[in-house]
Amino acid sequence: MTTAEQNLHPAVTTHPKFSWDTGVQWLVVIVTAVLVIFPAWPIVLQSFMSKPLYDKDRAFTFDNYSNLLANARFWDVLVYTAAFAVATTIIAVSIGIVLAVIINRTNIPLRNLYSNLVTIPYYVSPLVLAFAWMQMYGPQGFGTILVRMLKLPIWQLYSFGGIVIVSAMYYIPYTFLYASSSLALADPQLESAARIGGASPFRTILKITIPLLRPAITYSALLTLVSSFELLSIPLVLGNAVGIDTLATYLYTIGVVGVNKDQGAVAAVAVLVVILVTGLVYLQGKLVSLERRFVTVGGKATRPKAIDLGAWKGIVSFFVGLYVLLGIILPLGCIVLTSFVPFLSPFMNPLKMLTLENYQGIFGSPAYRQSVVNSINISIFAAAIGIVFMAVAALIAYRSTFKYRNAVKYMALYPRAFPGIIVGIGFLWAFLLVPGLGSLRNTIIAISVAFIMRYLPLGFSAVSPAVLQVSDELDRAGRVAGATWLGTIRYILLPILRPALVSGYILLAISFLKEYATALFLVAEGSRVIGTTMLELWKQGGAEPVAALSTIQMAITAVLIIGARKLLGVKLHE
Amino acid sequence: MNNDLIIEGLTKKFVTATSVAIADVNITVKEGTFTTLLGPSGCGKSTTLNCVAGLEQPTAGTIRVGDFVMTDTARDLILPPEQRHLGMVFQSYALWPHMKVFDNVAFALKLQKRPSDEIRQRVHESLVLVGLEELADRYPFQLSGGQQQRVALARAVVSRPKVLLLDEPLSNLDAKIRENARVWLRGLQQQLGITTVYVTHDQSEAFAMSDMIAVMSMGKLQQYAPPDEIYERPANRFVAEFIGVTSFITGILQNVDGKKATLKLTSGELLNIRKESKSDYVWKDGEYTAAAIRSERVEVLTEGAPARENTVKAQITSRTYLGSKWQYTVETSGGSLRLESTDAIQGDSLSMYLPPDSIILLAN
Repeated sequence: MTTAEQNLHPAVTTHPKFSWDTGVQWLVVIVTAVLVIFPAWPIVLQSFMSKPLYDKDRAFTFDNYSNLLANARFWDVLVYTAAFAVATTIIAVSIGIVLAVIINRTNIPLRNLYSNLVTIPYYVSPLVLAFAWMQMYGPQGFGTILVRMLKLPIWQLYSFGGIVIVSAMYYIPYTFLYASSSLALADPQLESAARIGGASPFRTILKITIPLLRPAITYSALLTLVSSFELLSIPLVLGNAVGIDTLATYLYTIGVVGVNKDQGAVAAVAVLVVILVTGLVYLQGKLVSLERRFVTVGGKATRPKAIDLGAWKGIVSFFVGLYVLLGIILPLGCIVLTSFVPFLSPFMNPLKMLTLENYQGIFGSPAYRQSVVNSINISIFAAAIGIVFMAVAALIAYRSTFKYRNAVKYMALYPRAFPGIIVGIGFLWAFLLVPGLGSLRNTIIAISVAFIMRYLPLGFSAVSPAVLQVSDELDRAGRVAGATWLGTIRYILLPILRPALVSGYILLAISFLKEYATALFLVAEGSRVIGTTMLELWKQGGAEPVAALSTIQMAITAVLIIGARKLLGVKLHE
Repeated sequence: MNNDLIIEGLTKKFVTATSVAIADVNITVKEGTFTTLLGPSGCGKSTTLNCVAGLEQPTAGTIRVGDFVMTDTARDLILPPEQRHLGMVFQSYALWPHMKVFDNVAFALKLQKRPSDEIRQRVHESLVLVGLEELADRYPFQLSGGQQQRVALARAVVSRPKVLLLDEPLSNLDAKIRENARVWLRGLQQQLGITTVYVTHDQSEAFAMSDMIAVMSMGKLQQYAPPDEIYERPANRFVAEFIGVTSFITGILQNVDGKKATLKLTSGELLNIRKESKSDYVWKDGEYTAAAIRSERVEVLTEGAPARENTVKAQITSRTYLGSKWQYTVETSGGSLRLESTDAIQGDSLSMYLPPDSIILLAN
């Protein structure tokens, strides 16, 4: 120690009153609070008002609620929605678990190919999936007409069963992905122990493998239940023609397309739905923490030997292949094909009428072209801003001594209880009520803010596990070495978290590209996105332009996923 | 200038999942000396160290190095870690995986915006100090555990801190390497003459390296003394039990006379005790009490040896062969004792001699 160093330690006695660290922490907690409260307050307020919020004659009232609860139609819709959500969950979770076990644990041919193909609906907007099934299996669908020509028994896609099956198709990948990562992490010695104890391979699957998946089953079941409860697109596209309504389509009908829009009723429905979903989300948290006893993760991801299905493997592979072909490839292929022909029909060879007319129609119209450009811009820029914000929020929640760090966590996760359509209503009213903000509706700023709020939980949950995996001794070492909290984040945590941030970014970009429900109410002349334009075109009856937009959306998503994998080496899920 | 590290009245309330509260800890580490905080897990030693580092906030107390005050709750002053100019080595070494060895060591100097020539030279000096100057361009994952630990040490001392904090830095090393690392680390500390606070639950480490040992339990400082004093004159029952292999023998205290007393066992056997303990235990006639004795101080008497004071008869209840010696558990009328012998003792009973100055009376 030289004497020159002695002066490095002044006898500091002042307490620093302001630092950039606490400044940034306060900023993030305030922005999060504003994001969550901003769309919520006009809805809550409106639900107790006799007239719209902008009307000076409005008065406090409980009528909105009493009228709603006395409305038989509302109760029908509620019961129907519950039946729909439960049926969808049961089908999606059972098929998802079976697929996960077959593909991850047995030696069927083509299982690597299948493991990629079955996840496709995860990346496709439910709106696109609904159109795809409509094109293939709807009353005028390609497949339906083909089967009718063969004089075989025919089905009705526009029905409770049809809506449930298409919705289940959309949610199966969620269960599949959770169950697969759970299977990859489970200790293979548990299965080996059962085999040594005398259990056959089949019995081992039934008695050990599947019961060990219980946390994944519980988690994906509740996730599917909550999501299908608020799902708008599939019930709307497939149920509209036959007058079927779920809570989401009911809100859409009375709020967007209704002749005399009753804002009080819309707000009351919205508040009740949020309360209901909050209950489900709370239940999800409770059940998942109760299931901790099943967690056997040791961190060792040694892949156990695949279970030999013997003579059955060909048959099992055939049925999995049939599922992938009929459920995913044919409908999506059908919609891609539709986008390249004037009209699709089994009576004419589509390959002889290939055309780019539909795409020219989209890109020839300034409004439609703008919706594509808007969607791409939102995906690229809003998702980038969003993921950085969500990462900093996660770092405050898990890596700071900030007083309100737990509040940041709860607020960031709370939007899970807000269905997209309600987020849209809330932001619309809030933007209209706050002077000066109304003009933002015409830009993509309003929609970007709403999307970021809606996907706070997704981004936060995508980054959090990675944050928790980094030993906190690494940031402590940074602090002791002389870095501030922000310095530690900048030089140590963000570089280490880079892969998680990139995959979180891609996930957010894809979600923003797919999102339509949040934009439905909020959308204005200059802020159309692909999803809202698709619904607009669908209402005008143009199947081919809708198919072209769907294809564009899928193509952009594919570019994002393949780019992430090839260029950045990022996988979007375990 | 005096640069002792002084911890006064350090208290942390609130029990959380990861740390246990500490109560009124007072420790002075003389400049240039090596102090070990020793205790079982959850005793508060890591909390104390983290309070010194500024990584945890105490509810009360002061911490200073000379007149550089880092924590003074009375004045609402708790400096963040980055303003304390300390060096610290963590249990997992905490080398930043995305930085090369050079950049890990250079990090603190870069934050201080030192000229790059100086940074290069001081990083080189630090790496020479730990014998790793050849590995500056490696990434941490390319190093062995022992090398990582050395890099962590180089990183901790590169900015020439006045105080070095070590949080169980040897616990992740293999047993063989650990013994060498112990000698090496102590040598390095003496070479640098740096005030050092070391946290461990391993008493052999504590004894091998320290100038002073602070034994902690349940958030309280039980004894703060040089190693030989901790061993020979434990301040209380916890210290006696925690350090080494200690047995307790119970009886009634008689003939208390200044520096001497007698312990009468239920069999009527008498044990003379000489008062050497630093314990603040107050001796009282007629009290039923437990006296401590180290197992290696008990002498087994060969059959037919001449009668001596402080001889006690016992029955052997278990015997364990440890290679270099035998360990026996025996039952006396004052309770069961553990003792060691290089001989295999035949038969079920034995006589043993308990030296008067090895029997210690302790407060509970």
